[in-house]
Amino acid sequence: MRIEMIKKALSNPLALAGFIIILTIFLLAMLAPVISPYDPDEINVKAILLSPSWSHWMGTDGLGRDVLSRMLHGGRISLLVGLVAVGISTAIGIFLGALAGYYRGWVDTLIMRLVDIMLSIPSFFLILAVIAFLTPSIINIMIVIGLTSWMGVTRLVRAEFLSLAEREFVQASRTLGAKDMRLIFTHLLPNSLTPIIVSAVLGVASAVLMESGLSFLGLGVQAPQSSWGNILTDGKEYIQFAWWLSLYPGMAILITVLGYNLLGEGLRDALDPRSGSNR
Amino acid sequence: MISAMTAEPSGLIYMVAGESASAAIASNIFNALLKYNATLDLEGDLAESWKISDDQKTITFKLKPNLSWADGRPITSADVLFTWKSVTDEKTRSPYASDYQLVKKAEAPDALTFTVTYDQAYAPALDSWSGLQILPKHLLKDQDLHTTAFARKPVGSNYYKLDIWKNGENIQLSRNAKSVLGPAQIDKLITRIIPDNSAQFLELMADNIDTMGLDPIKYSRIIPARPELQKNLNLYKELGNSYTYMGFNLKHKPFDDARVRKAINYAIDKQEIIDGVYLGLGINIASPYKPGTRWSNPSLQPYPYDPAKAKALLKEAGFVDTDGDGIVERDGKPFAFEIITNQNKEREKSAVLIQRRLKEVGIDVNIRAIEWASFISRFIKTGDFDVVVLGWGLGLDPDQYNIWHSSQQAPGQFNFIGYNNPTIDKLLEQGRTELDPDKRMRIYHEFSKVLLEDCPIVYLSAGYGLTAMHKRVQGIVNPIPPAGVGYDSHKWYIPEPLRRNEMSAQ
Repeated sequence: MRIEMIKKALSNPLALAGFIIILTIFLLAMLAPVISPYDPDEINVKAILLSPSWSHWMGTDGLGRDVLSRMLHGGRISLLVGLVAVGISTAIGIFLGALAGYYRGWVDTLIMRLVDIMLSIPSFFLILAVIAFLTPSIINIMIVIGLTSWMGVTRLVRAEFLSLAEREFVQASRTLGAKDMRLIFTHLLPNSLTPIIVSAVLGVASAVLMESGLSFLGLGVQAPQSSWGNILTDGKEYIQFAWWLSLYPGMAILITVLGYNLLGEGLRDALDPRSGSNR
Repeated sequence: MISAMTAEPSGLIYMVAGESASAAIASNIFNALLKYNATLDLEGDLAESWKISDDQKTITFKLKPNLSWADGRPITSADVLFTWKSVTDEKTRSPYASDYQLVKKAEAPDALTFTVTYDQAYAPALDSWSGLQILPKHLLKDQDLHTTAFARKPVGSNYYKLDIWKNGENIQLSRNAKSVLGPAQIDKLITRIIPDNSAQFLELMADNIDTMGLDPIKYSRIIPARPELQKNLNLYKELGNSYTYMGFNLKHKPFDDARVRKAINYAIDKQEIIDGVYLGLGINIASPYKPGTRWSNPSLQPYPYDPAKAKALLKEAGFVDTDGDGIVERDGKPFAFEIITNQNKEREKSAVLIQRRLKEVGIDVNIRAIEWASFISRFIKTGDFDVVVLGWGLGLDPDQYNIWHSSQQAPGQFNFIGYNNPTIDKLLEQGRTELDPDKRMRIYHEFSKVLLEDCPIVYLSAGYGLTAMHKRVQGIVNPIPPAGVGYDSHKWYIPEPLRRNEMSAQ
């Protein structure tokens, strides 16, 4: 993306709002070891389930650990899982989408049927089933989410390639004798970047949700490591009493997902000429 | 009276279903030959009396006369014989068969007499006859107990009979007018199926159920903080007949070394687990028996929290931190293992506390909480684990042959930690054949002592059973007798003005 594109994107108020939210959350997560008031795993059996106060801004959990510190450290996990999972799915999506969109024919048919098959399986249940066979760990979660959510990107890239291939500058380049790789990497891919970025940003939101869901079910990040999802699980037990264990991680997930969605939608509005700039 | 359970029974023939949900309902419908009284001595249920022969191998039960099933047919010794044949039949595949398979000969010489003869004196025999719910032969003859409609439309003999079973919703019992033990006070028992504990608690607060088991947080933090709940609920606390432990896979190195096991035991602060996880609602134990009962050896002391001793024992076993990373090594391999447990909040929290304490003596611990069904099938039955945090719920007889005897290690059997100690084996065998209560007590005291010394498991705590009951339910025996808060529930009553209106929606 060029500088003017970024400027253009950030002039969109939605995108700007999303960007600020994401940036703030990133900064908080990055600085977690510095700004956390307590060690996130520090157990204090004399301070179990304390409500929010000056010494514990977000209260303490069932083992007397500081919820704020666990939230900050848990945020690192959620964001990491989101980014890596989407990195994997986008890479696979671009590769398969480019193959299908560029070579067409039986390659296209094969890849698109694979996409259809994958899409016909509800992805959360697929992930649940796969994780149940593996050892739950952050690495496995990232890989499994990545390996099960590349279908959207594949379709997108394929569609872009199909339409770009008919455009004059591509035709001209092909007539001048450009090789496949050159066509793909200098013409087709750079011109498909905008929708890919938009879809990746939106993908992070759903990956964050997915990780929280898995951790909530006990199949994600394992104790004593915190993640928003497993803080929420602890909170479920005591929801009538220790509301802070449910509210704060719930809010964190909500705001993060909202942030990515705003950024994604804003980017689309700002960068995609087809959606019109009058919005 | 309305209660709740988390799981729906698969059927009400307990010997086939073998699950606690089934037992909870079926025990209101069926009787056994014997039952335990308030002080946990055996007394007759269907049996009026029983006699043990001089060679201690034959027991003769006399049934109470003129008993009848809820459908009016008489209860005779033929029903008892039929039930024994069913439970021992290979086709029934009952998880409780082993106790009854020890009976060499069972006979029903007349309508009210039932005799069983064992190969050799078998001390847990009487206890086993308090656990076998007698089924009506005239309704079950030639039926497959696994598929019979009777499991969902039972005809029993106890205080209640089944009225309505709404799948996934509730099970409604009403008073059995022909009950062999006389009428119960409360007309209807409704058990609602509410799979989630938090949802059950919401229903309790909304006064849609009358009773439920509580966890320590609800008992000592939530309810006391809410005057409107305190006004309506009575709380009961009793030491349960169960305990939580950390068990080693004794076939895996280095857990075959008693010094390592003891080191780990010394390194764990049990009181911290009781305070932190159970909010003080538990006690530290030193034997696998409920403290205060005759089988529990009062001279035994739990391993104290002593990290210095733990480190010394680890060193003795060859574990030293040579590379300065804080984790001890032996032969260049760091001491690291995984604790697995099922998805039980208390056990997970206990594991986290253990993880921290073991780190302090240089042991690196990983924790994994696994869903119950795969926990049992993938890890326990295959022996594919290092260390487990689990609980044992115990019967009233002290015999723990199933858990500790070296012969009980096949997949699916209870000695899954692979414990093999000839002294323990011998004591368990003696304990099973000794009928004199005092001699038997001494055997089990010795058994507990050897077990504590050898340390195949670390006792973490025995927790209190905590119950909330709406104040409209009255007549509960207080103080709670050894038999538990649920004892004599047929005498409970709800005074007229406090009764719920006809349960239309429920």
